[in-house]
Amino acid sequence: MADVEFDEVWKQFASQTAAAVQGLSLAIPDRELLVLLGPSGCGKTTALRMLAGLEEPDRGDIRIGGKSVVGLEPKDRDVALVFQSYALYPHLSAQDNIGYPLKVRNLSRQDQQDKVKRVAELLGIGHLLPRRPAQLSGGEQQRVALARAIVREPRVFLMDEPLSNLDAKLRVHTRTELKTLQRDLGTTMVFVTHDQAEAMSLANRIAVLNAGELQQIGTPDEVYDRPANVFVAEFIGSPPMNLLDASRDGDALVVAGGWRIPAPGAATARNGTVRVGLRPEGITIDPDGQAAEVVAVEPFGSEVIIDVRVGDQHLKIRAAPDVRPEPGSNVGLRADPGAVRLFDRSTGVAVR
Amino acid sequence: MTATTIGDQLAGPAVSAPPPRPKARAGPVEWIIVHIAFVAISAFFLVPFLWLLSAAFDGKASAYLQLPVEPTIMNFVRIFTEHDFAHVLANSVFVAVATMILVVFSVSLAGYSLSRLDLRRKDWITYAVLLLQTMPISATMVPIYGLARQLGLRNSYLGLILIHAAIELPFLIWLMKGFFDSIPRHLEEAAWLDGRSKLRALYEIVLPLARPGLGIAAGLAFLSAWAEVLMVVILIDQDNLKTVPLAFYEAMRTQGGYTEVQFGVIAAMAVIYLLPVMVVFFAARRLMVRGLMSSTRGL
Repeated sequence: MADVEFDEVWKQFASQTAAAVQGLSLAIPDRELLVLLGPSGCGKTTALRMLAGLEEPDRGDIRIGGKSVVGLEPKDRDVALVFQSYALYPHLSAQDNIGYPLKVRNLSRQDQQDKVKRVAELLGIGHLLPRRPAQLSGGEQQRVALARAIVREPRVFLMDEPLSNLDAKLRVHTRTELKTLQRDLGTTMVFVTHDQAEAMSLANRIAVLNAGELQQIGTPDEVYDRPANVFVAEFIGSPPMNLLDASRDGDALVVAGGWRIPAPGAATARNGTVRVGLRPEGITIDPDGQAAEVVAVEPFGSEVIIDVRVGDQHLKIRAAPDVRPEPGSNVGLRADPGAVRLFDRSTGVAVR
Repeated sequence: MTATTIGDQLAGPAVSAPPPRPKARAGPVEWIIVHIAFVAISAFFLVPFLWLLSAAFDGKASAYLQLPVEPTIMNFVRIFTEHDFAHVLANSVFVAVATMILVVFSVSLAGYSLSRLDLRRKDWITYAVLLLQTMPISATMVPIYGLARQLGLRNSYLGLILIHAAIELPFLIWLMKGFFDSIPRHLEEAAWLDGRSKLRALYEIVLPLARPGLGIAAGLAFLSAWAEVLMVVILIDQDNLKTVPLAFYEAMRTQGGYTEVQFGVIAAMAVIYLLPVMVVFFAARRLMVRGLMSSTRGL
């Protein structure tokens, strides 16, 4: 049980021109499940590895439970890491894999066996204990890796894309389990992923990284509803937020095709050109609205995503499953004023 | 090209692939020629061994290949009674086994370091090791002799063991580096996070996985130390420290006072000398093949 802090952490690899992690500051309170989210190469895994002690930061401080861990060997940090590849010891049985951290701690053989058995039962892999990793399926290996992390009751769980090698169905199932497990154990968890849906469903808070820099940190609702910049707006949500170049005209914003979007709340926005962000569900179909051409219709069962063109810009709209306009036909669009987000066109930063 | 569709491109190679060539079937004449060639080549390489076997059991062995003129096992009896061959063999076994242990220990650590540690100028070190391997050992014979004298390593097991290990180390360090490169780093990182020190993780997690490599390193180190002649000749001249190659050398030189070389005795020594090599080879041949195949991936 411990809180975790990154304080102005920098890391540069000799082989790369740009720093992998640039001035990362993050405070993760005890018992929180924080997801580090970003595209590959954004520095999320490097940040996690620095926390684990597998990389050393060039500058800045990392604290676990209020104490700096910089310079401390991985073995002395009392954190458990589940690797994307699971990193099970191939020459040991599942039993010995899970028991390894306990053996290291010189627990009696009986205690080791009891604990391993209990954790294995908890994860439903009791019957797999005598097997070697090569005799286990991907999902079973993942559980053994998880058990090895849980059995030692560490201060912090670190997860490096532990679900990405599972098939889609198992991934969604395990995601739910993991969330429940973390809550029940009450252990702080830092979870790295590039999958925004995984991040949204798991996290207490999400920290979005790009090119080594923290873009935004907040609850899933906050990063979805109030993205701090264009990157977050486009990275989170499926389909992502529609972004349209716009210019101001009185109380309205004029986008492509002469579409006037009323934006009275945006009076504080800087005059001139901005980008308008609209979530697919922030646009409704209204016969009296702005005319748009339907390009494609993608039914998803519970909803329909309609791809439309306004002037020279494409937008995606989320509609009820029974809305099925013909491709090539025209529909009317209306933007929900409460859903309009504005971004500075040159910097991409949200205008509040 | 502009008009081709993706479908055309995909279909292209399959259509343009040449029809499978009819398999050439050897006629009876070719069959005979090929087999005669095989037998001739095999015989060429087998003759020395046949000579050894025949001469070792021949009371009147000569330098020529012949069936035993006077079949006997006296040659074997004589090497143990007159030439103290048991002692010589024991020396050889001791030196080769000690070399093997030293080499396995050293290449584990050195190969791991070159594979994993973040050393400055690691490339240079790695290639310097390889450069050492290319040096002909005979070129350094004189300085090694001088050095061994100065350090008091002449006429000592330690001197022989050190130099035999040194001869084999560069290649085997490279071999082991290749093995360690092929073991995922995540495994030892997991062990560190599980609470193990780096050295313990190496011992408990990495080395067991590198066993095929260690097996082949051990086998090659043993065989090389077993077969090495030059250093034995320049470093050892005391009878009680003599190893097998030196015993050969002396048997050739002094038996019969330069007039009559006792080929039967030499052949008997050689037959016994070859036995451990065969044992090591057959015991480790699976491991060696597996080891050599997987090591080439890492090099």
